[in-house]
Amino acid sequence: MKGLLASLSQFWVIWIVLNVPGMGLAADLTVEAPQYSSGLKLGLNWTVPTVQSDSLLIVRSGVGPNGPWEIAKSGLQPSETEFVDKVTDDAFRSPPLEQYWYRVVGLAAGMTVKKDPDSLTQLMASSLFQLEGSGRPEASLFKHYPGIWMLLLIVLSVAAMIFYFSAQVRKGNGSKIRRIAGIDAIEEGIGRATEMGKPVLYVPGIDNLEDIQTIASILILGEVSKTVAEYQTDLIVSCCIPIVREVADEVVRSGYYRAGHPDAFDPTSVRFIASDQFAFCAGTNGIMYREKPATNIYLGRFFAESLILAETGYVNRSIQIAGTAEATQLPFFIAACDYTLIGEELFAVSAYLSQDPRLVSSLKASDVVKLVCVGFLVVGIVSHSLGLGFIGNLFSLTGGLP
Amino acid sequence: MRTTIPLVLTFIVGVFMVGEFFIPHWGYQQVKSLVLEFGAVVSGVAFFLGVINLVQVNMPVVVGREDDWQYKLILLLSMAAMMVIGLWEGTTRMEDGAAYKWLFDAVFIPLNATMFALLAFYIASAAFRAFRARNAEATVLLLAACIVMLARVPIGEQIPGIGEYLSRFQNWLMDVPNVAGRRAIFIGAALGAVATGVRIILGIERSHLGGD
Repeated sequence: MKGLLASLSQFWVIWIVLNVPGMGLAADLTVEAPQYSSGLKLGLNWTVPTVQSDSLLIVRSGVGPNGPWEIAKSGLQPSETEFVDKVTDDAFRSPPLEQYWYRVVGLAAGMTVKKDPDSLTQLMASSLFQLEGSGRPEASLFKHYPGIWMLLLIVLSVAAMIFYFSAQVRKGNGSKIRRIAGIDAIEEGIGRATEMGKPVLYVPGIDNLEDIQTIASILILGEVSKTVAEYQTDLIVSCCIPIVREVADEVVRSGYYRAGHPDAFDPTSVRFIASDQFAFCAGTNGIMYREKPATNIYLGRFFAESLILAETGYVNRSIQIAGTAEATQLPFFIAACDYTLIGEELFAVSAYLSQDPRLVSSLKASDVVKLVCVGFLVVGIVSHSLGLGFIGNLFSLTGGLP
Repeated sequence: MRTTIPLVLTFIVGVFMVGEFFIPHWGYQQVKSLVLEFGAVVSGVAFFLGVINLVQVNMPVVVGREDDWQYKLILLLSMAAMMVIGLWEGTTRMEDGAAYKWLFDAVFIPLNATMFALLAFYIASAAFRAFRARNAEATVLLLAACIVMLARVPIGEQIPGIGEYLSRFQNWLMDVPNVAGRRAIFIGAALGAVATGVRIILGIERSHLGGD
């Protein structure tokens, strides 16, 4: 009899907890979409209840405040007070719903979390506490941080100034580029190779085509191949990435066509060596030892193999011109190569070689933006020194400096 | 048409991908991820073309018994062996006991490490040539290199009188002028990259498209 009464009372307690809103549940859980969110995340914040639990379980429902529930996160420490939940892993197949309900469930020691809905419901029913809350994911169309606006302004400024300075050039107000010894040396190196009857070796870096340095190198390769074709010298292009080889092949072929020597193009001159860094380095070194190029041109993104390549070229007494924006490799190139193009000079080579007014005007545009950035730097240094952080916050991409 | 379509595609895709940094909406990010997957698939297919190019370049040398044809033969046989074994073993190729894994661990990794190890000697030879007091700038470079190298080894701190100051000066040298110089290069390179990207997206720069 006593046992029956105990079971009935337990049944009624569980029934009340499950069905009467707010009974056994605390509403100390806030669910909000993060600022400028993608619409796939919700941030949960709760106050730690006085009841001591062994771990916390977070469950989510897209249907209603009473479930059905699925596990969002299990095994949280009892001292945790916040969590960011990604409401769906595949937004195409299961797009985010309008509203989500959450419960933060405090579990006692020995309680095992299982995924099936029935076990989960029983677990929640026997939990120490449950905090409930709900929220709506909000997908923003634009990140309204000051830094994002500044970034957009910089990009649009560069584009606008390119058009402005191009118009100036058409009116006759041309721009001059200062002499860059390394770029002048490219043509001199090709001439040297022609005189010696040896090829020119061109290495467009070892990074993928999506890297801007590789793209800049391929643009330069177009001009170099045109000059090589005009001088009727051999060109060897050593590529680490197959897709870069395909683009380089097309660019070199185009260079020969533009120079008026389409038949001089050798399809085997643009070579894929290996996709591994040091295998590529070994293969390119082999080319240097066997084919003994008179001029080596390294333009693009390089890593540890940079010095091995440059030193091998030095041993072979090649004239070497290198250019990269990779600051860690610049010292090696400066030590081992005859000419080194540093950082932004790499991106100026195609304009310098082609002397196309539109390309030269883009250099002027980036120089103007550089001056503006220097101005902001100076103002920022002074303002931060005086304890005013507004300049730094103006360029913050995440809403403000800590 | 042959250059117009690629230019239009470049503009559309370029603007779309730049928008990724400004538009956080999940729909936009999903399309961006899809476009990136397309690029990865194209790059993957290009590997087949890379293999074909390797054979095209090296096979005639082997067949014609030209200079160093033996090295080309080893290259082609190694490539074929790894390909056949890798395809034969399939998804189990990197499990313990697999022949592919043995070749990778016992041949490829040591060869890679050998090339990397050469770097130490190349650094020494390059430093020997570069660190010469030919002019004022070279002298400053030489002094800075000596200070940093001395301060980085334990014996540098043991030098009586200046050991402690050497370490502090070295830290200052690496944390202040060195970082300042690197940041200047980063800023310049970043702006150059923006200008290059804008030129390509707007179709001002076209040499990467090739063509007649």
